[in-house]
Amino acid sequence: MRIAYAAAFLIGFVALLADHLTSPSSGRPVSPEDFAGACAPCGAPCPSSRAAK
Amino acid sequence: MTAAVTEPAASARLPRLDWPFLIAALLALSLLVALVMIDGQPAAAALLVSGFALGVVFLKAEFSFTASWRRLIVRGQADGFLGGLLLIAIAATVIVPVAATVQGFGGTIAPIGPSLVIGAFVFGIGMQLANGCGSGTLYTVGGGSGRMLVTLALFIAGSVIGSLHLPAFLSLGGIDPVLASNHLGPWGGLAATLASIAAVAAAIVAYARKKGAAVWPARKIVIGAILIGLLCIAVFAAGRHPWSVTFGFTVWGAKLATLAGIDLTGAEFWQWPGPKRALGDSILSDTSSLTDIGMILGAMAAAAAAGPFARNAWPPLKSLLAAAVGGLLMGWGARIGFGCNIGAFVGGVASGSLHGWVWFLAVLPGCMIGIRLRPLFGLSRE
Repeated sequence: MRIAYAAAFLIGFVALLADHLTSPSSGRPVSPEDFAGACAPCGAPCPSSRAAK
Repeated sequence: MTAAVTEPAASARLPRLDWPFLIAALLALSLLVALVMIDGQPAAAALLVSGFALGVVFLKAEFSFTASWRRLIVRGQADGFLGGLLLIAIAATVIVPVAATVQGFGGTIAPIGPSLVIGAFVFGIGMQLANGCGSGTLYTVGGGSGRMLVTLALFIAGSVIGSLHLPAFLSLGGIDPVLASNHLGPWGGLAATLASIAAVAAAIVAYARKKGAAVWPARKIVIGAILIGLLCIAVFAAGRHPWSVTFGFTVWGAKLATLAGIDLTGAEFWQWPGPKRALGDSILSDTSSLTDIGMILGAMAAAAAAGPFARNAWPPLKSLLAAAVGGLLMGWGARIGFGCNIGAFVGGVASGSLHGWVWFLAVLPGCMIGIRLRPLFGLSRE
């Protein structure tokens, strides 16, 4: 298990670094709740605004 | 005689510290902190470090929502559940008034309707099969559990599938979030939140006494709850919203899917502003991903500092199957039901949002079914 775990950790960490180095990352960290109209932690809109559409 | 001499000698050869993994965890944290500081994001560094501390505390206190809720359901024990309520009460004392009065901060809210109830119910089944919820998966993965690596992988997959189904479930209807501070003001909202926590605690204590089961939490659980409650406040201060776990998993899965050539940008969920930005930006720009990563590294450092790391044999196939099914159900349920024990229950109740209690009422029957299913996978009901 130790070798499999080490491999998973290494692959995950390299993927994380690759994503960070190839993606925009300026400004403070955000969550979907920071955006206008978000009604849940995932950024889903409120039922009232969906019904209005 | 020979055996008596040999055994201590053999155990003495085992390292007290598992240096490779301890150094890997500390180096990884340092590198990530340096990278976000280069981008001028001290808040991101604070989230990574807070997550790291959460991983250490969860692992050392063995704080488990899944096991304590199972003890409550099966034996009537209130101890672990009361620890959870204590940490929520501590977090609420800051989150409710600050979210209501300080510009830029907000509590955890969510619509109340079929999506919340169905998602929480399915999540409850999954958490008992997987033997860990969102936070539990993170700290046990960090602690060296190969079984929970399987859970995490399927949790991620399930949450991406859930992201594709969520808009359809939202179409089933529901009402807008109900936030105590919106109706009672910041301090009235806090009073109502603490009163609701106290009422549930009193009901649980009465239930445990009726069952003749343990009522008061052990010192380890109390200390763990206090520290986790304070760290919830630290995460809130740095991220401006309460701690959440599972959105990070959804982003990781969506990025992997994109890498595999699956275009998610046309899906409704990924067109909402928050998810759309998260899919395009660095993972280290997402608040929940930052605490998730920190938590894995913290638990890894704590486990490796305590002894040999990840040396257990793989569990039986049936147990791995439960881990996989549980992870998939949790991922899907968390996305449909707006989060896990942390994002929906802890964050929701500590924000004074009614959906946190609705989520709790819906997750309990799911847990009961999950507990009944555990023996099918060779797991004990307790």
